[in-house]
Amino acid sequence: MYQYDTIDKDMLADRSAEFRGQVARRLSGELNEDQFKPLRLRNGLYLQLHAYMLRIAIPYGSLNPTQLRKLAFIGRTYDKGYGHFTTRTNLQFHWIKLSDAPDILDHLAEVDMHAIQTSGNCIRNVTADPYAGATAEEIDDPRVWAEAIRQWSTVHPEFSWLPRKFKIAVTAAPKDRTAAKTHDIGLNLKRARDGSLGFEVMVGGGLGRLPHIAPTIREFLPAARLFSYLEAILRTYNRHGRRDNIHKARIKILVAALGREEFARQVEAEWEKIGSGSDLPDTELARIRGAFRPMSFETLPAQSEIFEEAKAAKPAFARFVRNNVKPHKAPGYGIVEVSLKAIGETPGDATADQMEVIADLAERFGQNDIRVTHEQNLVLPHVKLSDVPVVWEALAAVGLATPNMNLVSDIIACPGLDYCALANARAISVAQHIAEKFADPDRAERVGELKVKISGCINACGHHHVGHIGILGVDKKGEEFYQLTLGGSGAEDAAVGQALGPALPYDRVADAVDTLVEVYLRERNDGERFLDTFRRTGVAPFKEAVYAVAD
Amino acid sequence: MKALTANRLTDGEVVFWQAGKWVESFGDADLFPDDDPAGEAAEAHGKNQPTVVVEPYLIDLVESQGLWAPVSYRERIRALGPTNLNHGKQTAGGAVVAALQHAHGGARSKGRVDLIKRK
Repeated sequence: MYQYDTIDKDMLADRSAEFRGQVARRLSGELNEDQFKPLRLRNGLYLQLHAYMLRIAIPYGSLNPTQLRKLAFIGRTYDKGYGHFTTRTNLQFHWIKLSDAPDILDHLAEVDMHAIQTSGNCIRNVTADPYAGATAEEIDDPRVWAEAIRQWSTVHPEFSWLPRKFKIAVTAAPKDRTAAKTHDIGLNLKRARDGSLGFEVMVGGGLGRLPHIAPTIREFLPAARLFSYLEAILRTYNRHGRRDNIHKARIKILVAALGREEFARQVEAEWEKIGSGSDLPDTELARIRGAFRPMSFETLPAQSEIFEEAKAAKPAFARFVRNNVKPHKAPGYGIVEVSLKAIGETPGDATADQMEVIADLAERFGQNDIRVTHEQNLVLPHVKLSDVPVVWEALAAVGLATPNMNLVSDIIACPGLDYCALANARAISVAQHIAEKFADPDRAERVGELKVKISGCINACGHHHVGHIGILGVDKKGEEFYQLTLGGSGAEDAAVGQALGPALPYDRVADAVDTLVEVYLRERNDGERFLDTFRRTGVAPFKEAVYAVAD
Repeated sequence: MKALTANRLTDGEVVFWQAGKWVESFGDADLFPDDDPAGEAAEAHGKNQPTVVVEPYLIDLVESQGLWAPVSYRERIRALGPTNLNHGKQTAGGAVVAALQHAHGGARSKGRVDLIKRK
């Protein structure tokens, strides 16, 4: 894991002291709310329905046990004993007092964490494949590049006041676990035939009011030229992005308006002017790469007797392995997914006690490594198969062993109207009702991969556009209604979902999902996921079934 | 009927206007008949307290179980706490909380709509 140097640490200390002064001036009345709001947002502090919310950056979703314990401490001391992991792989505390915020930032700085650039029209937290360094699929470790982007983009003077917020994802595997094509920039590491490393550069993806899947503007960018190219993209956007209209200010609108070819042409022209002066020096890349040296894995047989015996003896463990343990590049190891989607609980929430258990497990069995996924779960990326039974028991004891990864109850949900000042409708309780419908794990496994994603408003923090089943909360004359979309995907086969029909009232949503699943089970061919069946049949059979019931 | 609400500056707590001060429970809030200028006077007073509260606005109320409840579900969630966990103001219990929990439907409060338009 990358370790902060003295420059990083001094910067955080300065920022924290600066914010303490700003809060004091706000409380004394020296600053009014209009003056203070942009300052607190620069430090990730929002005013929501019931309290302030502090959004803490978790760069490329990577945490060590000390950091996770600190988050648990903050949750217990300053919040109501829990935190909420988000689709940007950040952590939000929803019950923060303004007067406590400076102390919290000091606590975070002690463990090299902060809330800088988790809000505002700047480059936000960079996300990467949560399996980085653990999966055999990857071409290179995307964290190296994500960390370099983090350093480059942090308080970058030219890109601190963009037309709108800006999100970058880095992946290096054919299976996309970052939703790269829904980002302002998605970077997919590739190797050329000659073995050289480069990026496929996708620009102009995004969800929100006007969803777009990012087109590729360059098939292969030599890796050494990444930063001059990023600068060219950002500079083109900074100059031509629609600052006059907040709904049209994201880069996706610019790319769509100019067209992929013209946008690419302008970027390349800018890139030529910039030259290679802004590229990362090899020595600096090597320094960063050094922080992500491959772990020293023990030489183990591919199969573990303890692991196999536990599977044979305990069906519940076998189910956990089927759904939550993924292949690791080192023989005898596994990637363990920790579900934050226990049936009936809030998607993405973890209590302080749970965070401490995960920190302990990472320390004892997981090489001090913890990841956050954009699907609001956690990952222990390096666990010996022989240790998985013990890890499973420890997770199960605190409600963290739900065997539902990628199944229908593994739902993304934004905080929605229960917490968020922007929301039109609740998302969490809709997720809870749906998960309860599929509480029977046999049925959930029969249904197979099914990604349900729920947003409480059109801003789409819950990624509803790219859900196999997407659910969007809307306000219809003051009442909660929900628009369903089908056939979206945020993965390598990215697509925006198609509307099912008129919005449904709150109490009909979970039943409608149940109906959609029944139609799928009836219609599916062998081996088809929900998404595959939908793509083959189209919306008609699903629509007919839901509205026959709803009417 | 209307009530005046805001978030308290220091901690973001949802507060309501009661006889010249801000209180945490909706059940303690002053109620203003729709045509009573006292509501707007209280709102003006609240806006002059920028070191005490953020964005005070009037909310519309409807009758529920013989008591008054905010007409919009957004305001009911603010008055009660989130619905996913029982750890907001609803933990206090009592008749007013029950009335809020049983209120149905409604529309947005005009004060809130005005606030959104201003933004």
